[in-house]
Amino acid sequence: MNQRDALRRDMHRTLLASATTPDRTTRVTRRTFMRNSLLYGTAGAAGCGFFPFLNTVDMAFAQAGQSFRFAWVSDTHLYPKELNSRFVEKTVRAFKEVQAMNPPADFLIFGGDLAQLGDPVELQLGAELLKEVKIKKVFIPGEHDWYLDMGATWNKMFGASPWTFDHKGVRVIGLDTVSFAPDFWTARKMSPKERMGHMATLDGTLGGAWSAVGEKQLRWLSSTVSNWPKNQPIIIFTHTPLYEYYPPWNFWIRDWRDAHEVLKGFTSVTNVHGHVHQPLYNEIGSIRSIGMLATSWPWPYAPEGVPTLTRPMVRADPGDHFDGVGWSELAVNNGRVANTYKMWRKDVFAEADADSGTGDNRNQILTPRMADRL
Amino acid sequence: MTSKSLRFALSAAAVAVIGGLLGDIQPALAHKEKHSAEQLKAFDDVFMEQVRIGDLLFHGDGATEKKLGTVLSKTGMACAMCHPYSSDTHPHEFPKFQEQMNAFATLRDMINWCIEKPNQGEKLDVNGDAMKALEAYITWSNKNSKLDPGRH
Repeated sequence: MNQRDALRRDMHRTLLASATTPDRTTRVTRRTFMRNSLLYGTAGAAGCGFFPFLNTVDMAFAQAGQSFRFAWVSDTHLYPKELNSRFVEKTVRAFKEVQAMNPPADFLIFGGDLAQLGDPVELQLGAELLKEVKIKKVFIPGEHDWYLDMGATWNKMFGASPWTFDHKGVRVIGLDTVSFAPDFWTARKMSPKERMGHMATLDGTLGGAWSAVGEKQLRWLSSTVSNWPKNQPIIIFTHTPLYEYYPPWNFWIRDWRDAHEVLKGFTSVTNVHGHVHQPLYNEIGSIRSIGMLATSWPWPYAPEGVPTLTRPMVRADPGDHFDGVGWSELAVNNGRVANTYKMWRKDVFAEADADSGTGDNRNQILTPRMADRL
Repeated sequence: MTSKSLRFALSAAAVAVIGGLLGDIQPALAHKEKHSAEQLKAFDDVFMEQVRIGDLLFHGDGATEKKLGTVLSKTGMACAMCHPYSSDTHPHEFPKFQEQMNAFATLRDMINWCIEKPNQGEKLDVNGDAMKALEAYITWSNKNSKLDPGRH
């Protein structure tokens, strides 16, 4: 067993008190996806390449409803603008494009990680930039917004999660999945900045499995969907994916199976999430998850666990800070939802390994970092 | 003594141990005697100390940067923000034609390109201590990757 596997297993063993480790039977094969797609009419007719998408991932709701569109922006990771103007430029571009949608989106969901280090200056900068968007705005936090003051500034400026509202036949839910880090800071006598620094390091090891729904929020979720018809659509916004992709980078929600249990029986649940900075698509039962782009920078796909149904994005050019990033437009039309990645380049998805964000890593074997454990 | 300075001291001691174990033997006489377990551990300690320093540099540790006199970024970004676990650095694929540079490049060339372009920092001495430490960390993070030089 290599170090990465050992770390992964250790996180499961010690931190998953109330959850069950997923097994291979939960993985969705492409065949399953194709079958479901045919049943529900979800697949596009592109038929080229090895996945049936163009730039759009289509999903079918069980019942037709009214049409509307909404926009997703997340992971702007703003520093003070004097330090990093590039992230500001990209955030401004995304918000201007959202505001320019014609017809306008019904609402913007900001999916977390507005700030890089949770600094009130960064959050205030984000709030100023968000004024560009005049439509309804809703927010969920990211871990970068949270761990300087444990969400105090975020909640004051952008409101607390969870929340819910019904919109044109869809129950829309926003969850906090970032505030559940085990306390690694008190015993080490860390300052809030030191705590934030560790939490802001994706491949850091001290933060552990910080992403969860938590028992209290699970009860809230159960209550919130209890009066909703099983065949009516639900959209759940989370910062982190509502399934297990790659726990060492918290590309998961550790009690995702408990959340799925609460949602069992609902025939159309769409989870839209940030944090991963890359296109992702997964299906488990009737719950689908779509990973969103960041505006700040793209992340490489994790060394394992990329859902079989995901069509990988292109390799981004690190010399072009507008490459491999962007936002998303999600349209609900006659009961169907289509996600369109607004990546600021011609091609979003790779057609060949040489151009792929996963295909170029076939000979790569990685080892977790060590310096923060010494 | 802080834990960091203690580790530096231990590393220096490890180098001294190697010297002591080898006595007056010159480099040209290396491998003429069987290696002891202590020697091998000392060799490994020297390497892992460089990995540790490289890890800290890669993750934007300001104190380590200052100590080595480097400015790896002026944007707030650190190497690890785009390369968690040093992924997508592909040390096993160098040397190769590097598209961004339009040139045949080594890993050290690529490290300096990333420092200068995306991170807007100051390029490193290609044979300096910081470069060697970064190289140590990146290659250690990718150990067991299959050598595939030249591949895009």
